[in-house]
This record gives sequence, structure tokens and C-alpha cells, in this order.
Amino acid sequence: MIEPNLRTGKPVVQVRNLAKAYGPHVVLRDVSLSVQEGSVTAMIGPSGAGKSTVLRCMNLLEQPDGGEIEIDGHLIVAGRKPNPKNLAALRRSAGMVFQHFNLFPHMTVLRNVSLPQERVLGCTRDEANEKSMELLKRMGLAEKADQYPSRCSGGQQQRIAIARALALGPRVMLFDEPTSALDPEVGVEVLEVMKELASTGMTMVVVTHEMAFAGNVADELVVMADGGIIEKGEPGQILQDPQHDRTRRFLRAVLER
Amino acid sequence: MNNLVDVAIQYAPTLFDGLQVSLSLTLLSLAFGLPIGLLFAFGVTAGNKPFRYVSVFLVEVGRGAPALVLLQLMYYGLPNADITLSSLASASLALTWTTAAYSAELIRGGIQSVPPGEVEGSHALGMSYRDCLRFVVIPQGLRIALPSLMGFAVLLFQATSLAYSVAVPELMSQAYSIGSSTFQYLPVFIIAGLLYAAISIPATWLSVYAERVLSRHL
Amino acid sequence: MLRAIAIGLPLTVLVTILALMIGTVVALPIVAGLRSKNRILWLLSRALVDLLRGVPPVVWLFILYYGVSIGAIRLTALQAGVLGLGVVAAAYLAEIFRGAISSIPKGQWEASSALGFHRATVWSRIIGPQTARAVVPAYTTFAIGLLKDSSIASSIGVAEIVFMSSQYARQSGEGIMVFFVAAGVYILLSVPLGLLSRHLDVKMRKAVAR
Repeated sequence: MIEPNLRTGKPVVQVRNLAKAYGPHVVLRDVSLSVQEGSVTAMIGPSGAGKSTVLRCMNLLEQPDGGEIEIDGHLIVAGRKPNPKNLAALRRSAGMVFQHFNLFPHMTVLRNVSLPQERVLGCTRDEANEKSMELLKRMGLAEKADQYPSRCSGGQQQRIAIARALALGPRVMLFDEPTSALDPEVGVEVLEVMKELASTGMTMVVVTHEMAFAGNVADELVVMADGGIIEKGEPGQILQDPQHDRTRRFLRAVLER
Repeated sequence: MNNLVDVAIQYAPTLFDGLQVSLSLTLLSLAFGLPIGLLFAFGVTAGNKPFRYVSVFLVEVGRGAPALVLLQLMYYGLPNADITLSSLASASLALTWTTAAYSAELIRGGIQSVPPGEVEGSHALGMSYRDCLRFVVIPQGLRIALPSLMGFAVLLFQATSLAYSVAVPELMSQAYSIGSSTFQYLPVFIIAGLLYAAISIPATWLSVYAERVLSRHL
Repeated sequence: MLRAIAIGLPLTVLVTILALMIGTVVALPIVAGLRSKNRILWLLSRALVDLLRGVPPVVWLFILYYGVSIGAIRLTALQAGVLGLGVVAAAYLAEIFRGAISSIPKGQWEASSALGFHRATVWSRIIGPQTARAVVPAYTTFAIGLLKDSSIASSIGVAEIVFMSSQYARQSGEGIMVFFVAAGVYILLSVPLGLLSRHLDVKMRKAVAR
């Protein structure tokens, strides 16, 4: 369950000196960041900057070549084979929402949200279904429970994906460009859900191109380019008065589309 | 034409008995071959070397050798190894091998076609590798492979016609003995052919239909 | 033992090649029929393909060898074998060709019309070459399958590999060995076809490298 917490100042996520390369191509060079409990961190920057890679290294969908990741006390060190129990615990603490939803098309919406609870948390089917319906109701999607994902719109599918991740009671939610595959109108539904989630005190890390979200909802803005963090800090300040030339160039291109 | 009808009426029971044997042989080989094929689908890329080498060997030989060779291998070869099986059993063994080998490749193809995003989704949720296979990869992989597997089942049914050469009393065998005793080869073979077609053609249409339905939901 | 197999080898190869050639040639009018707008023509082609593919090759061979006689003239085992396998091959190849042709983007046809090409030119210069490239994988896979199906000719007495191996097995009692070796020969024979396929695929891809 998500317990609204006062900001205790304890970092839920810590990334230290993360490095990743694909052969000769360096994707991440010495990236470090800390995510405070209850805060919303938005990551922006040009394509290929490494934003998604950082996110995907956090729950080890990508294997970092160097550095350390610590989520909710579970530590992963690059280069060493992760302890399976440790890895499983880390992935339970971090819920992820993907650009292309990644729902399971051969199961109903309800089963999509319930199955992970049964298998990962060990809930009974009834317990899982109850929790699932509660979350789906919160999203306004209760009547879709017995349908297949293909019968739902993109925005609905993404909200179901969010419910699926939330159902496991994570400490932090990782969003990898959640609205990039959606029409702008439809994307708004998803952003609303994310806003509501943030207001309940959920710790969130969001890789996004939605500047309005980054500016209005995020507590911390991280700007990345060419595999490194070039600016970090208060969103309002960075968006109004970027320190780096690269940031200026990127913002100009984005905001003047 | 008259001939055809006469032969048909006179020998229908015998031919139908043969058809029954053909169908039994097909179903038996599918029942054993498909699960083994699923095993080999993973076996050919397994980490465990002995398991992998055995899988690759059985799949390559099962696919590379004509079904007739495998049938004869079992029929002539097993007695050599002091194993005596009935002709139906040795034919089933041979065709099970063929089925396992071909379906291993078809299933492997299906499994590899499962969108990797879904596998990532289940990893991100913390689902175990085994759970991911059981709930996400295998169900969808099989669904994708189903039309090709159905197509293969039709070919398998036709391959049972070769089992006459190893003394299995299936349809071809019955047709041939009727032909050689009555010298009415043409009519009886035509009828046998029609019986095969009567099953193969609708089955093929079914697999085409299955392909269309399945690609809708994925 | 190897002698027996070696004696059967030439006919295996011959039957395969002849059947493949007949199949390729006969497939062409069938494809035309399958793509025809004429209802009757399409229906006939469809029925022909379904029938040829719906009956096991062995049955066709038996019909041709034991059943067909015009006067006193009957087909030899080799003739029946090649003809039977060739005609069945035509049905499968017709489907393969049809698939390859329909895989060509519609835009190619549209551009050709817009440019005012004659039908003949469209086929020989635009659609034909692209079909040839698209068809290589399926065609070579089928050829390998036909190599294996040539073994069916043994049932009407063509002295190819399986026929010779069975004979040897009956006489010598070394069943397992001879058939394993026979299996190995078939597998080895399919290797050059696989390599050829890959080679052609690479060559043709280079020709269209964007």
C-alpha cells in the first residue's frame, strides 16, 4: 500500500557513478543522482542522452558496466552477479511503466493486474482481484476488467499498466516516456493519473518530453545530454534560466515546436 | 465410373479401417511429439551442454532425414538392438521423432516472436524467469506457432501413408492389398486419395482460418 | 553398405532435380490461374492446388504407376516418380510464388502503371526480379523438402537411396547403421542447398542496398 509519507529526507533511490557502453558507443558516463522519498524527479534531454538507460539500469533491465544502484536499501553493484533474492526485492520496490505499455495481450485486464500479485507477492486469487478492482476503480476503468487489452484505447492501456505496477506496492515508480506513444489528448488522461499519484506522496522518476508536467509537477528536474547529467535542480529555475548552453539549445528546440 | 462406385461400396469397410489406423497413428505421434518438441524448442539453446547437444542432434536428424528413412530405421533397426515393437509402435516412434523435430523449430519460432517488451514487463514486475515462461512466453509462443503446427499436422497425416512400407495396416496398405488382389488399382487408389483429401483439405482450411483469427487478437 | 547408398545417390539427385524443374514450369500457369480475376479459372486453379496438396504424394505415385495405362503403354517407375512428384511440387510452388508476388508492395504496381509500362515490361523488369529475390528462401527450403520426398519414389521401385538401403538392410541385417548413414547423406546433401540459399540471399540483398 502506498503510505503518504512526509518527506523524511531519506533517498529511496541512489545511483552512484553509473556507466554503460555498447561496444565503442558510450551511453552513460559517470551518472549519479539521488531521489528523495515522496519526490517527483523528471528527466529530460535530447534523444540518445541516456535518460531511458539510466531508468532501465535502475531495475536492471539493462546491466550497467560500472557504478552502483541502491533502491530501498537493496544494493546492486555493477560487474558482480546480482543475488537473485536481492534483485527480486529491488524489482518489487520499483514499479515500472513503459512507453509501449507492455501489457499481456492474451490475458484479461483483471488478470494482467492480478497475476503479478499472485506470483510475486504470493497473494491468493481473491486478495489479488480485490486489490486489482480497487486500483482499476480508482483509474475509472473498473468496467474494463474482463476485457482484453486490445479492446482498450492507448490511454486506458497505459493506466492499466500503471495499476499493474502499483498493485505490487512499490516504493518508487519509474516511468519511461509514458505518454510518448499516445495522442496528446489521450496522454492527458495518463498525466492526470500521474499527477494524482504524486499528490499521494509516491516517489516517482519520470523520463518524459512533457515539459508542462516537468515544470508543474516535478520537484526535481534532471537534464541529461550525451550520457551525462548537465543540470540538476529546481524545475522552475532551470526552465526559466538554464545555466548550460546545451540545455538552452534543447529547451529552445522543444518549447518552440 | 461404375467401377469406382462398385469398388467403393465393396471395400469401404476395409478402407475405413485403414483410415482409422492412419488417424490413430497421426494422433499418437502428435500427442507424444508435440510435448517433446516443446522441450527441444528450449533444449537447442539450453546452457546445459549435454542436453543441448542431444536436442540439436535429435532435431537436426529428425528434420533432415526423410520420414521414410526414420520409419525404416525404426522398423529394421530396432530388432538389431533387440527391441521388438509392433509395427504400429515402431511407426509411432519414428513419426513422433519427426513431429518433435519439426515442432521444436516451429515452437521456437513462435517463442522468439513474442514481443520482447512483454518479457521486460514481466521482469520489471519481479516475476521469476519460470513464471515469465509459464504465463507470458509459452502461451503466446504456442498461439503464434499454432497455425504452422496445424499445417504440420496435416503433413504428418499424409506422411502416415508411408507407414505401409513398415507393415502398418493403414489406409495405403489396405488400398494396395485390395489393388493387388483385384487388379483394380486405379479405382481403389483414387478412393484412398479422396479419403486423404477429405480430411487434409478441410484441416488445411481450418489452419488458414486459425491464422486469421489468432492474428486479430495479438 | 556405402556402396549400396552410393548406387542409390544418382537417382535421388536426378528425381529431385527433374521434379523440381517440372514443378517450377507447371507452377507458372497455376499461379496465373490463382491470380486471375476470372471466377472459373480461379476456382479450377484453387481446386487443383488443394487436391494436389491434399493427397499424399505416395498415392499420386501409385496412381500413375499402377493405375495409368494408355493401351499397353505404362509409365516406368522413374517416369511415374518424376511426374508425380513434379506435379505435386507444382502445387506447392504455385502457392510459394503467389505468396512472393503478393509480398511486393502495391506501390511498385502503381508506379509502373503511372509510368505507362506494358504488362510485359512490368513483369520482366519490375515485378519479376523482385519476386525472384523474395522467393529464394522459400524456394530453397522447398527444394530441400523435395530432396527428402524423392525417397517416396522408392515405393514404386525407383532405385534411389532408400530403396537401396532397404534392400541392403533386408539382406545384411544391419538396419540401424545403413539408415543412419542414409539419413546423414540426405542431411549432407541439403547443406549445399542451404549455403546456396544464403549466398543468393546476400548477393540479392546487396543489389538492393539502400
